[in-house]
Amino acid sequence: MARDLFIVIVGCGRLGSHLANRLSRAGHSVVAVDSDESAFGSLSPEYSGFRVEGDATELAVLKQAKADKADLVIVATRDDNVNLMVAQVAKAAFAVPRVVARVFDPKREAVYRHLGVETVCPTAVAAESFLQIASDAASKEGSS
Amino acid sequence: MEAKPVLIVDDEKNIRLTLSRALEALALETATAVNGEEALSRIREKDFGLVLLDLKMPGMDGMEVLRRLREARPDIKVIIITAHGTIESAVEAMKLGAVDFMQKPFAPKEIRELVRKVLSRDALVAEKAGDYGSHVELAKRAIANRQFDAAQEHVRQAIAADATKPEAFNLLGVLLEMAGNRLEAQKNYRAALALAPGYKPAEENLGRTVGGKGGGFRLGKSEHPPEDEA
Repeated sequence: MARDLFIVIVGCGRLGSHLANRLSRAGHSVVAVDSDESAFGSLSPEYSGFRVEGDATELAVLKQAKADKADLVIVATRDDNVNLMVAQVAKAAFAVPRVVARVFDPKREAVYRHLGVETVCPTAVAAESFLQIASDAASKEGSS
Repeated sequence: MEAKPVLIVDDEKNIRLTLSRALEALALETATAVNGEEALSRIREKDFGLVLLDLKMPGMDGMEVLRRLREARPDIKVIIITAHGTIESAVEAMKLGAVDFMQKPFAPKEIRELVRKVLSRDALVAEKAGDYGSHVELAKRAIANRQFDAAQEHVRQAIAADATKPEAFNLLGVLLEMAGNRLEAQKNYRAALALAPGYKPAEENLGRTVGGKGGGFRLGKSEHPPEDEA
């Protein structure tokens, strides 16, 4: 294992819980945060991290999750605006070295970047994959 | 770090895993127990130096384990693990003799720092216990070298070794004043004077902080030549 990181994941939905399970299994110390306790049901039995129930837009909840000690914060709730806000707070108030937010709307990505928040856009990632497949198919078609 | 093994006591698997993983990097031997009964029987089998103890466990709770441990093995250090928002019980446990506590969730770095701190405290006490004079001198040197954390530690130990002499209280006052805590500083200057009326350095320090006069800090004469500083 390279180094065990302390990772806070905000939003424990499909993406958040998947990341939490994988990162925990890889040996990192993970805290999953969600306002809905039932969301933690998607964590696997091998998940060895912590669960914090609460609204991450509240400073006290991020503090409880010890975001101030985090090496990395991943923000993946279903709401772009919430993600932006939490990511900014993590960066500005808790000085987290690395903060990544999911953003659904590709148009918002530029705004995020302007505010110094690193992003992953599922639409853009999916589009890239599809385009790659299309271009592979085209080159095969051309060579045969 | 040469140290005895560490026992981790928690009913939650994830906590036991997180803690033992974090301590691996310190090259400490660890063992785990899932409840109070198991913890006590482990302690009978093996010579542990430190126990990380969860307070809330089914069956015998952490507080009871701590109580019994204090009776049987007062030499073993205990760090309490608490959930968020249960500081009161942690304080209660500190009164019973736990050395420190940490709140869930914890970062691996945080765990390692606390354990290292607790274990090195132990080493320091073992090495230099009881020698008031050399602690006072080492504290003065540390202040002169602007190593205030080290100075604080030496002062603390000097007071622990002998709380009837004025020098250490005067130095504690100086450290507090340097940190900007004038009122606390004055309290310590007065404490030094109460122990030894007319002790010059404390008198001058107090006079300066009360009267607003100029002048440097008075550390006191070097009467006890320090032993090896390392």
